[in-house]
Amino acid sequence: MLRISFALILCFFLISLESFGKSTVSGHVRDAATGEALIAANVIILELGTGTSANEYGFYALSIEPGSYTLIFSYVGYATISRTIVLEDDMVLDMELRESLLELEEVSISSQRNNSNITQLEMGSTSLPIQSIRKIPALLGEIDVIKAIQLLPGVQVTSEGSSGFSVRGGGRDQNLILLDESVVYNASHLMGLFSIFNNDAIKDVKLYKGDIPAHSGGRLASLLDIRMKEGNSKQFAARGGIGTISSRLTLEGPIVHDKVSFLLSGRRTYADLFLLFSKDENLRDTRLYFYDLNGKVNYRINDNNRIYLSGYSGKDTYANKEFAGMVFGNRTLTLRWNHIFNNNLFSNFTLLNSHYFYDLGTPEGSEQFFNWNSALDDYGFKADFTFFPRPEHKVRFGASGTFHVIKPGEVSAISTGGIRQRLELTHNHSLENGVYLSGESKLGEKLALRYGLRYSMFHNVGPTTIYHYDEEFQLVDSSYYTQGDFFHFYHGLEPRIAANFLLGEQQSVKASYSRTRQYLQLASNSTAGTPLEVWFPASPNIEPQLSDQVSVGYFRNFLDHKLQSSVELYYKKMNNAIDFRDHAQLLLNPRMDGEIRVGESTSFGAELYVKYETGAFSGWISYTLSRTMREIPDINGGKAYPAPYDKPHDVALVLSYVIIPRISVAANWIYSTGIPYTVPSGRYEIMGNIIPLYTGRNKYRFPDYHRLDLSVTIKGKRRTGRRWRGEWNLTAYNAYARKNIWALNFIQDESFPDLTYAEMTYLFSIVPAITYNFIF
Amino acid sequence: MAARFIYIHLGLLIMALLMTSACTERIDIELDSTYQRLVVEAAVTSDSVRHHVLLSVTSDYFSNQPAGQLENAVVELSFEDETMQLMESTEIPGRYESPIAFSGVPGTTYTLTISQIDVDEDGVTERYQASSTMPGGSEIESVELRHYSTPLVSGHSVILFAYNPVDRPDWFGFKLIKNSDVLTDTLTKYSVFSDELFDTGYFPGLPVGFLSDDNPREALYSGDTLTLEMDCIEEAYYNFVTEAQLEIAGSYPLFSGPPANVVSNIDNGAQGYFAAYSILRFTVIVE
Repeated sequence: MLRISFALILCFFLISLESFGKSTVSGHVRDAATGEALIAANVIILELGTGTSANEYGFYALSIEPGSYTLIFSYVGYATISRTIVLEDDMVLDMELRESLLELEEVSISSQRNNSNITQLEMGSTSLPIQSIRKIPALLGEIDVIKAIQLLPGVQVTSEGSSGFSVRGGGRDQNLILLDESVVYNASHLMGLFSIFNNDAIKDVKLYKGDIPAHSGGRLASLLDIRMKEGNSKQFAARGGIGTISSRLTLEGPIVHDKVSFLLSGRRTYADLFLLFSKDENLRDTRLYFYDLNGKVNYRINDNNRIYLSGYSGKDTYANKEFAGMVFGNRTLTLRWNHIFNNNLFSNFTLLNSHYFYDLGTPEGSEQFFNWNSALDDYGFKADFTFFPRPEHKVRFGASGTFHVIKPGEVSAISTGGIRQRLELTHNHSLENGVYLSGESKLGEKLALRYGLRYSMFHNVGPTTIYHYDEEFQLVDSSYYTQGDFFHFYHGLEPRIAANFLLGEQQSVKASYSRTRQYLQLASNSTAGTPLEVWFPASPNIEPQLSDQVSVGYFRNFLDHKLQSSVELYYKKMNNAIDFRDHAQLLLNPRMDGEIRVGESTSFGAELYVKYETGAFSGWISYTLSRTMREIPDINGGKAYPAPYDKPHDVALVLSYVIIPRISVAANWIYSTGIPYTVPSGRYEIMGNIIPLYTGRNKYRFPDYHRLDLSVTIKGKRRTGRRWRGEWNLTAYNAYARKNIWALNFIQDESFPDLTYAEMTYLFSIVPAITYNFIF
Repeated sequence: MAARFIYIHLGLLIMALLMTSACTERIDIELDSTYQRLVVEAAVTSDSVRHHVLLSVTSDYFSNQPAGQLENAVVELSFEDETMQLMESTEIPGRYESPIAFSGVPGTTYTLTISQIDVDEDGVTERYQASSTMPGGSEIESVELRHYSTPLVSGHSVILFAYNPVDRPDWFGFKLIKNSDVLTDTLTKYSVFSDELFDTGYFPGLPVGFLSDDNPREALYSGDTLTLEMDCIEEAYYNFVTEAQLEIAGSYPLFSGPPANVVSNIDNGAQGYFAAYSILRFTVIVE
């Protein structure tokens, strides 16, 4: 591994020498109407037939020989612009693109025939513009980023209606979910039925399933990179909606024209507001809601410096003033400074904070008072540099560090006798660092490579108590580490390599290998998850999880790139894969690492993706054929068993059609093999109760899952000079009322105790909803 | 206009909630068969009684027949230097009773041996064994009944004040007897508690049971007597009860791990449990 590292560093040094004698044209690509950066906009040099794409902040740079060139700027759904330049010295060329068809703004239309899926190096990744996500019919009309992600190949919903997702057989805690670079530890509202992401505040969503870039790490399976809007820097604008369960409002605009802009977005459910009208005092005292608040301010100091401050705060509250309640929520805060050192060296420095908490109990002063709370805090920084020595080469390097503080649980109780008792589980402190170096190179006309190396480090930090166990997982001893003790260290290299071989403009073959490490994991063995789950770190008892993934893919476009298709094959092996002993106690357990069982997990599969886009019709079909098996010595008698999210067949059909400019329809159809489940073979009776007897984990499967969702969107007439535009959206979730199993249980008949039967629980029949959306 | 909007919204909300609420439905599924295993339900307590052991066998899950009782087994109970053979009841198949009444002693390890049976019907007889050490050392100070009325339920909470050993974690089971009716007559009604997290040596008002006003069998009236039975149990038996209760309650994606077999302390693949526990009782009269 050290030799590889040395070779890579040498390679980067040689590449950096290439920029000498070149001049650089650089700048930002933005939306002409809003000033928003256009992430991944293409910039092509016509004469050289090469180019680059804008980064997450819309910045691009091309270092080329002095001369005259034609630059072509393009972005999906926007009109392409070309500019002729005479490049003598370094120059700045900012570009603003306009949406191509204003009447059909919600339809992604490529004004240029985009074949970036063929030419880009990335594989196993999908970018979903928020306009595409808004077209997808959603449960109760709540447009949901994560529910859209679940329709992509290789991504599976972990439980009916849940915001949890599994990527290529990974656990739901193996997805790194970033909101403006801050980690979101629990992306669910209302027990998972909705995600925390308010679509009005989101600009771009990108999922990396395999070839995770070297600048990111810490999770095995995927990176879900969600970027908030920056705020309209041109004019004040508002967008909102009144829905069946919630309403939302987003305000954005310039504070100083083209220099400082803001975005403020809120969403709140309001079922409980109607409870205030109840005659029942208990109901009047009940609170049942969630809210999200997103805010962002960005300040363009000058051409070379820009500052962004963004944050999110959201909370679920289920409480009765007199009785009991539960509150949980997330908060993220990101401060970023973009600094352009020179025209071919872009940098970004970030300070981060993530916070997740839950708190439940009875009201203070009640006779049997108890309170239970838990929290997790991340304090982090990132320094990221991108160097553009030539159009064919790009180098990215940097470092990141995060200090994790996990408070697994604290319980206070006052007994009937009036005595206060308190339990606080030992806090976990840890420091997770990473340095990385990656590059992209085009070798000739056909071959492009991306190569990266990440070196991750993880320290456990005192004060804490570490327990020691024997081979039977029985406690034998413990060690106490004082504050500031760096008492355990894990580290390792994580190479990431990808290649793209063009077989012409219409097709390419790609391959990638990536290694990822995960140092934090979720203490949960349920499929849907609850707000009460806690994260726990690698420690002397728990080695970090490690994943090696190889994938190959064939990408082919048809009909002048309007029909894009791909087939990707992957094989992933996860070492130190974590599961939990049978009947594990995962809440308020000071010795939770004694509940963990470690082994291997293997996942392999094929993913087919066909996407079609024209002016009026768009959609995609995804099909995944996969298996994921775990083999853990202390579970299922050491025999391999299907992972909880193992669904061999998974199909999603997503379609939308603009009938006339004012009316569009959309539909999803989802089909998957039923999830594996453990069912009894036998039974026995103890103290009058029948107890199930199992003969193997996950041997049975639920019946196949399928569902159809429909929606119709009717826009109001546009009137000249009137900024207000409204639309009605009607959805029918689970349109043919399929009773998909959410839970399966085996019940002893109350009247005839010798009789037992199987009982399914399903969550949804047909669920209609109506939403009014507006923009002005 | 505002009122109209509220009504429309409420209507939609109610419709949505009705349609999104979870529903249950019986379904037919086919399950595998499995071979027959021994099932033991046995206890030695500090009560001076003729202790008994119930032996039965497992059956296929949808067999829908009473559990098959196991007869003609040789059942022995040994402790310290003594071994006694339990006699098979002539009235209740599968029940084996100690020849005399005796009371178990805290700190003593009791071993149950079952032999001369061919449960898996392979022509070879098997031998099963389990041991349990009787915990003790606790003392009930008092029991109180308090009436609560909440938005969800109303009834009497049974509050325990008791001393327990402070130098080690302890585990307890609680039974409730109203007049002479044992309310906690099934495994699911037997409540267990661990003081592992709050081991102060004293229970300063621990709620150990709730008797609902809506359940005629549980509802308490003036003059009723309520007896709380506090069993000092082993950790392994506490685990057995909690695991069994989890499996009986079923599993749901939000809260549950994968279903799994309940761990028994009987060797050789048998199911069930042999427990030794000491019993404390306290009776209150409802005012």
